[in-house]
Amino acid sequence: MTAYLEVCGVTHNFGGLQALNDCAFAISQGGITCLVGPNGAGKTTIFNVITGFLRPDTGRVGFRGRTLSGLAPQAIVHAGIARSFQNLRLFTDLTACDNVMLALPDRAGETPFGALFRPFATARSDRRRRADALERLDHVGLAARADERVRNLSYGEQKLLTIARLLATGAELLLLDEPASGLAAGALDQVMVLLRRLRGEGKTLLVVEHNTRVVQQIADEVLFLHQGHLLAQGPPARIIADPALAEIYFGGAL
Amino acid sequence: MDYFYSYLILAEIYTLLGLSTNLLVGVVGIFSVSQAAVFGVGAYIVGDFLLAGTLSFLPALAVAALACILLNVLISLPSLRVAGDYFVVTSFGIQLLATATFTNWTAGTGGANGMPGVPPPDLLGLPIESTRGILAVTTVATLVACLAFWLILRAPFGRLLKAIREDESAVAAAGKGVLSAKVSAAALAGAFAGVAGGLYATYLSFIDPSSFDLDASILLLTMVVVGGARTLAGSIFGPFLLLALPQVLTFVAIPTTYAATARQLVYGALLIAFALFRPQGLLGERL
Ligand SMILES: Nc1ncnc2c1ncn2[C@@H]1O[C@H](COP(=O)(O)OP(=O)(O)OP(=O)(O)O)[C@@H](O)[C@H]1O
Ligand SMILES: [Mg+2]
Repeated sequence: MTAYLEVCGVTHNFGGLQALNDCAFAISQGGITCLVGPNGAGKTTIFNVITGFLRPDTGRVGFRGRTLSGLAPQAIVHAGIARSFQNLRLFTDLTACDNVMLALPDRAGETPFGALFRPFATARSDRRRRADALERLDHVGLAARADERVRNLSYGEQKLLTIARLLATGAELLLLDEPASGLAAGALDQVMVLLRRLRGEGKTLLVVEHNTRVVQQIADEVLFLHQGHLLAQGPPARIIADPALAEIYFGGAL
Repeated sequence: MDYFYSYLILAEIYTLLGLSTNLLVGVVGIFSVSQAAVFGVGAYIVGDFLLAGTLSFLPALAVAALACILLNVLISLPSLRVAGDYFVVTSFGIQLLATATFTNWTAGTGGANGMPGVPPPDLLGLPIESTRGILAVTTVATLVACLAFWLILRAPFGRLLKAIREDESAVAAAGKGVLSAKVSAAALAGAFAGVAGGLYATYLSFIDPSSFDLDASILLLTMVVVGGARTLAGSIFGPFLLLALPQVLTFVAIPTTYAATARQLVYGALLIAFALFRPQGLLGERL
């Protein structure tokens, strides 16, 4: 199968700390790939590299046969890759709906010119945008909370909102950084159902996840990262059953 | 009556400045402490052109607005590189630089002695000498600016600016450009301040650096804090309230020599009180 997303020999240092060390992997289109590894393995850092938030010291990232290296984050979103953040990074003073509307690709009325000189057309397109956003919110079960300010939402609702915002970008490859962590059982199931449904709708998902039960239930493929290097890649049953990897994962340092 | 009109004119000019400061500091979160410097550049440009007789009022105002757009974009540029709190330091430096220029560049500004004899505004060649005439001009300018501010806040552009204030990385991750939005907001804020400067110079007919110094910049911030960030009502209410205070103080028996000090004391106390007890201001949101 041809590589859909391709990470080749990526190395990144923070001062003296090597966060990524010749990291290499490829994932194919469709399906859910879980990225696992102990704390500090470099999972978030590789997300930052793929999405243009960090320039790697060496190596390249390819997407659909095109090199992404050097592109700004927003250009990478336009190329079709969007990411969520481990620490959510929602716009907490805005409403849930505004958070989603902001991420829709439509750019009408986003310049002062449109806002000032085409106010009616801007208002009309914004109504369309709101309808779009409500659809995404409905997708994650938050339609009833659309006009609530984000800071009044529960943590679980906020996590679902990050997924709605991610969906709004229209990207086909979604990178989710721990979408299920910190959730109670009910909300956790809700997120798992949602991720599977997104896969069914043709999205490709790369998901950082710590919970092995969740990994087992949603992953088609697992990437195991350790000390910034890809140690293993394979079906979840095999990775989880591997005693050497379990030792790294649960036993601390290698 | 003229006394009341004069209060209205100044309050409206400061409303333009309040809108400018609120857009930049309240909405986008570019924490500028040099908006009075931009105001001053607008005032001196209009004063210079009218004194020299090279341009009439409206063209001079247009030049001032354009110059202030460029200047405000230029001085806001560090905010694209320098994160949050550090920008305040650069902005502080810019304000000091501006005050030094206003005070020492005698040829352009009259220096510390100020610039006397700025002619009144004129429309179609007719000078507007009456206070009521000038009030009409400042009212039109203020209404236009208020409409613009309101349209921006309710448009997707306003939403983008508010999101930028909260989290630039999240905005980029949503596929939106941060840079162009910040530059646009700085340009608009510059235009408001430039027009305010031109109106101020022609109304008072005498300007000097004390109107455009750090104290003035902080007064503008105080107006936003007291009125409330990110709302039109707050941007109007702040200036009208704070400019009424000195008038109130004149009714209290304070010797005129202490009036300026008393005013500063009241403003400072207000700033602290609001920051501690009502950060959302009277009619707005938390800065
Ligand atoms: N901006 C930064 N500056 C310095 N060091 C950093 C920075 N970001 C990450 N690191 C370090 O790089 C290493 C990899 O961090 P990263 O956040 O990618 O880990 P992670 O796999 O996402 O871990 P976790 O499971 O805890 O989220 C860690 O040692 C971390 O401390
Ligand atoms: Mg992480």
